[in-house]
Amino acid sequence: MRLTTRIKHWFLPLAATGLLSLTSLAHADAPLKIGLVASLSGQSAKSGEAITRGLTIAIDEINAKGGILGRQVELLRRDDESNPNKGLLAARELVQREEVAVLFGGLDTPVSLAIVPLANQMKFPFMGVWAAGTPITQNGADENYVFRVSAVDELVDEALVQYGIDEFGMKKPGMVLINNPWGESNEKGFRHALESRDMEWAGIERVESNDIDMVPQLSRLKNAGADSLLMVANVSPSAQVVKSLDRMGWDVPIVSHWGPAGGRFSELAGENAAKVHFIQTFTFVENQQGKGADVMATLKQRYPEIKDLADVTPAVGIANAYDAMHLTALAIENAGSTEGQAIRKGYFAIDDYEGLIKNYSKPFSPEQPDALGPDDYLFTHFVDGRIVPVDR
Amino acid sequence: MITASIISGLGMGSMYALLALGFHITFIVSQTVNFAQGSAMMVGSVLGYTFCITLGIPWVVAAFLTLSLCALYGLAIERFLVRPFHSRGSEAWLLATVAGGLLVDNLVMFTFGKEPRRFLLEGVDHRLELFGTGIGLMQLILPVVVAAIVLALVLVRRFTRLGKVLDATVQNPTAARMMGIHVTRVVALSFAVSTVFAGIAGLLIAPLVSVHSEMGMLFGLKAFAVAILGGISSLNGVVLAGLLFGLVEALIIVYLGSTLSQILTFSLVIAALALRPNGLFGSKKLVKV
Amino acid sequence: MMSPNSLVSHRWLVPSLLGLLALTGSVLSFTLGGYGLLVMTLIALTTVVCSGLNILIGLSGQISFGHVAFYAIGAYISALMTMAGVPLVLAMASAAVVTAAVGALLAIPAVRVSGPYLAMVTIAFGFIVHHGLIEWRSLTGGANGLIGVPMPDTGSLPASTGLALMAVALMVASLLFFHRLSGSSCGRAIRSVKATEIAARSLGFNPIQTKTLAFALSALFAGLSGSLLSPLMMFINPDSFPFTQSILFVLAVIVGGAGTVFGPLLGAILIVLVPELLSSMAEMRLLLFAGVLLAVLWIAPTGALGVLQARFSKSERVIPRQQPDTNRLASFLTCDAGVPDGLRVKDIGIRFGGVQAAERVSFTAKPGSVTSIIGPNGAGKTTVLNMVSGFYAPDSGRIDLDSDLAGLPAWKIARAGIARTYQTTQLFAGLTVLENLLAGMQRGRLGDCWRKPDPRQVDIAMDLLALVGYRGSVHTLAEALPHVDRRLVEIARALALKPRVLLLDEPAAGLSRADTDQVTELLRTISGFGIAVILVEHDMTMVMSVSDRILVLDSGRPIAWGEPEEVRANPEVVKAYLGSTDYQAPPRPKAWDGSRDATLFVKDLLIDYGAAPVVEGASLVVNPGELIAILGANGAGKSSILQAIAGLHSASKGSVVLNNENIETLDANQIAGKGLALVPEGRQVFPELSVRDNLLMGAYSRADRADLDQDVDDILARFPRLKDRINSPAGLLSGGEQQMVAVGRGLMAKPSILLLDEPSLGLAPAMVAELYDALATLRDEGVTLLLVDQMANLALQVADRAYVLETGRVVHSGDAETLRNDPELEAAYLGENVA
Repeated sequence: MRLTTRIKHWFLPLAATGLLSLTSLAHADAPLKIGLVASLSGQSAKSGEAITRGLTIAIDEINAKGGILGRQVELLRRDDESNPNKGLLAARELVQREEVAVLFGGLDTPVSLAIVPLANQMKFPFMGVWAAGTPITQNGADENYVFRVSAVDELVDEALVQYGIDEFGMKKPGMVLINNPWGESNEKGFRHALESRDMEWAGIERVESNDIDMVPQLSRLKNAGADSLLMVANVSPSAQVVKSLDRMGWDVPIVSHWGPAGGRFSELAGENAAKVHFIQTFTFVENQQGKGADVMATLKQRYPEIKDLADVTPAVGIANAYDAMHLTALAIENAGSTEGQAIRKGYFAIDDYEGLIKNYSKPFSPEQPDALGPDDYLFTHFVDGRIVPVDR
Repeated sequence: MITASIISGLGMGSMYALLALGFHITFIVSQTVNFAQGSAMMVGSVLGYTFCITLGIPWVVAAFLTLSLCALYGLAIERFLVRPFHSRGSEAWLLATVAGGLLVDNLVMFTFGKEPRRFLLEGVDHRLELFGTGIGLMQLILPVVVAAIVLALVLVRRFTRLGKVLDATVQNPTAARMMGIHVTRVVALSFAVSTVFAGIAGLLIAPLVSVHSEMGMLFGLKAFAVAILGGISSLNGVVLAGLLFGLVEALIIVYLGSTLSQILTFSLVIAALALRPNGLFGSKKLVKV
Repeated sequence: MMSPNSLVSHRWLVPSLLGLLALTGSVLSFTLGGYGLLVMTLIALTTVVCSGLNILIGLSGQISFGHVAFYAIGAYISALMTMAGVPLVLAMASAAVVTAAVGALLAIPAVRVSGPYLAMVTIAFGFIVHHGLIEWRSLTGGANGLIGVPMPDTGSLPASTGLALMAVALMVASLLFFHRLSGSSCGRAIRSVKATEIAARSLGFNPIQTKTLAFALSALFAGLSGSLLSPLMMFINPDSFPFTQSILFVLAVIVGGAGTVFGPLLGAILIVLVPELLSSMAEMRLLLFAGVLLAVLWIAPTGALGVLQARFSKSERVIPRQQPDTNRLASFLTCDAGVPDGLRVKDIGIRFGGVQAAERVSFTAKPGSVTSIIGPNGAGKTTVLNMVSGFYAPDSGRIDLDSDLAGLPAWKIARAGIARTYQTTQLFAGLTVLENLLAGMQRGRLGDCWRKPDPRQVDIAMDLLALVGYRGSVHTLAEALPHVDRRLVEIARALALKPRVLLLDEPAAGLSRADTDQVTELLRTISGFGIAVILVEHDMTMVMSVSDRILVLDSGRPIAWGEPEEVRANPEVVKAYLGSTDYQAPPRPKAWDGSRDATLFVKDLLIDYGAAPVVEGASLVVNPGELIAILGANGAGKSSILQAIAGLHSASKGSVVLNNENIETLDANQIAGKGLALVPEGRQVFPELSVRDNLLMGAYSRADRADLDQDVDDILARFPRLKDRINSPAGLLSGGEQQMVAVGRGLMAKPSILLLDEPSLGLAPAMVAELYDALATLRDEGVTLLLVDQMANLALQVADRAYVLETGRVVHSGDAETLRNDPELEAAYLGENVA
């Protein structure tokens, strides 16, 4: 049975590391558990990996300083397979069976949206570090247990439209949106942003993440007189947009949500990748000194496969998760317990924290569950495989 | 725009046809298929990337290595996922190949990595002006390569001893065994050919898309639809259905957008099968009582 | 096999297990907290879907890779309705109705296709629903789905406990329903169609009806289950119902044990619980899960419960009475609305491609009479039966019973009162003997889905079994019956239809003399009930003794019609039917006297195909250069011996030695490589290869490939007829020419022994002569030959020695000369040829 040996070959070392980490943790007294429900397999697995790295670095730092409330912090991760039902199940398992103090959420807005009602009903803090869907934090609950250290679609869309006008003199943009809830959420945001400026748009084209040829959709926008593109899509379809533009020979400015940051966009899209200007909350290039450099060094040390900046994509996932974890540690310290309601108040009680993305000051309040706002966004593009801020 | 779409539709269609030929060839000799044909395509892309880009091996050698490994992969599928069930008359091979595909997808994710990568080769991104629209060189190459493969397949079947052996096995496996033909080996060979076709598709499609562990899933399903639509035991049918499927899909995208393409193409598949239960080009066998 | 009915005899087993399950489920609903409760509820809901899918897969023999779509539709309907304030129970009912309707709709394209085509239709359906849910934003909320589905108001009980109890109740109900369905008349109809659609149609079942019903029922359970999922999760969106879930449902049914009551429960536990147990493996989970699934498939490919059940279930032995209750049978079988003229067939004909298989065939079959249709092989006898029973639509002519039946589908003709049996029996595998009869008694009605069989019907079934002389247990599964019993039970099943006309296709084939006499007697009894019996049979003794009227066909044309004596005396009949007996093969110039160092040595061969042995303790020797014949009636096991020698089927016991080397464990292709060539029954040429390629294929296993062209020329010299056809596809040749290709193909291997299986079957007399001349030449050239031919006198003319087989045993052997003059042999065997 060659196959079984093959499985063994893969399985044994991995299982061994799993066992090791389990046994080493068993020695600590009652670790404080933090949960993560994110996409760890499949197309979005990279996002889960980035969040895991950000959280792990932060937790290592916290544990090195004695943990939270004197307890070592342990991270429990569950794969949601980008499926809301799986995510919801995993969230319930982590909260009800593992009794995690705080639950972190991943890339997919639908999964987070599925968990939100549960968080508010069962009163456990749910920290979003990626999914930007507006209604995740603005969920209408009287007592909102959902927090976020990430972008918010509504604000991002405002920022993208404004950037397009300022930088490219955009008058009639065409929208290229991925056909999923993320795209839907941004369609609303774009419409709102454009309508409030009395601007018209050339059209709204939806693309599927598996589309290979997007020439038809883009041709329609071109024929409708689009002078620029507003793009919301993951890295692969974003790259296909650029490649299809190349084939059409259409040179048009592209202002994009942060999808291209999710992978090796410049490799996938080719030389014209740099034309896509996209929004970020953080990039490592800019922060070569101070905290950014420290974190980068730690990352390289902890994950040997990281060799240079091109390997730390998506940086936002790492940075958001890193800051969110430290903020959460502060919140639990403030609360003095791991009880959900107390931690929620603990978040509001955070005063100042010098983070990776910025220096936070009173980041959370019952009216403001989002720690990041438009001032924290920056526009970037790919240069030589690295994300660098656009010179404005 | 229409011209570009037709060319790109034919390009995709020939990819579907190539994958579907993989279904065709195993089905005619064994009435089984590797349901995870999409995974086999992905394996082709990933191996090609690894040899060509990561290890920097010249592309001809890399392609040879890739296809050799694909053939081994096909043999393994037949030996471990199909034969143990098919030989006992169980239909569970179908599920076993699906589970095998899931296993391989995840193994690739751990080894190759989670990020989509680009299989960039010198010149494949070349852009041509044709009929007033821009067209990628690769999109033109696809149908040509597939046409060559189909032609080769036809010639091999018609003029070589191996082809005759294959034909004999298809037409009467029992009699073939009595002639001394090792039918089990022919079946294994057909699986190897099937995954090699998938591997070729993987190598060809890789420059057009991004390479990652889940790239094959939907592609494989569409190819299965193509195989069925064409009448899985008809070679001509499968190829024609592939081109037709690619064209229809491209035209739907032109006129209605890509979001409706799956609903419409799959509806057309159901409608076609309701009208022609043995596929568009398949023929009905007389039932003997 | 995985029959749900091997459990029937344990009358209380299923109900008590279900009771236990209900109890456990309820207790767990109250004791499990939070997450555990959720997982248990999900297992219950998954069981409901899988139990529904089990109706489709296990009972109806279809498959669906789109079942998650029904689950999704149920969930969306329930979510939309409860969000609009409709009570959950009402929403569930609506979900059930709508999904059942959608299931029936899907069945329209689905029942027309099978195998991979069916898989594709269901996959496509799943994708359409999935993308439909995304695109129909105004109703379904698009990809965001529906958030805030209310939990039901369960009074003082926590809503999660209430939902768990509902799910458990639904689970127990679905399993119970499956159990009752499979034992009900409706379930028997569905299972009959699954077992053999051909026989089901000739018992009046409309396959479209049963398959559609199975689809609808199965969709209904998926929908019901889905309608509880949305309040449970309080949230649904299209991604909650991925394509892979459909595959997992199918997998659960298969690994649990398709067709078993509790298989889906086991499968559901597997597909829900294992991922939960693996959840801490994070990104490794899917990888490990796939591994676990593969392991389970490897260990139990037919399903865990199937394996257990096969090992532990023993059915109660119930044997029919010795004598039937004749009065009860008479009142059951005698027709109230008699058709005095019986069946009248007028001028029917049919063409297949270029061949006129039957032309202007007319006959009448009066109630209470036996009408036989005879003729040489390939005369079109079975074709006529197939037209009368509705499997072929005649191109012309009328078939009148009450009205013209020509061209009606088989199931309508069956309902009109025409029942039939088949050359190779077509009993419903997976159904017991009793169930086979009960299915016949339904006359195509579906009946209800719940009730057990009526005791009065069981009584009649017992009488019918007693009438045909079946002496085994009525709870034996049909596929486990020995050959003779299959014939008897099939006749009994046809009678259960309460037919006015009974068509019997070679009922004596493969039966011993004594058994044949028993069937002959039975036919008289059956016609005595006023049934018009139509018989197609080779056994002339039987035909002549039982028939009132005989129709003789030759090459699709009627050549005689009359009473047995008339027909027997008709010179045209003698010529057409018995012509080949006139042929005299050239005898061996000098009696064989070669080496006694056997080329082929077979010892104590035991062959069974899972049931009663077909060949028992057969031993034979073929010396170099000898021509040996194996003789015996149809079904005596002659062909089975040749196939076992050639390695096409492995013998259960005994040894086969070829040139001093044991070959009984080798595969056919290896044996061919050792120099044994078989010219199989039915010729089995490669139809689309040219004659030349067919011949060349014969040389495939030869080591020396030098003089292939010369060898082909030699074959052509031997069979000059083939010269003109050398480049045409072999499938277009006539039967005799194909036989020559087959023999030539065998010779191309330059075998040390050539086995020939029924070479004269279906050939015109002139062709037979040509072929046997060729065999005689081969013999004289010193080729070692082992020949099986039903035409014993023919075979004995060319053979040196012969073995005579009766019901799988060698009863005589000796040199051909002696056997030819053995009156005993003539009486026992040649009777059919010299009738």
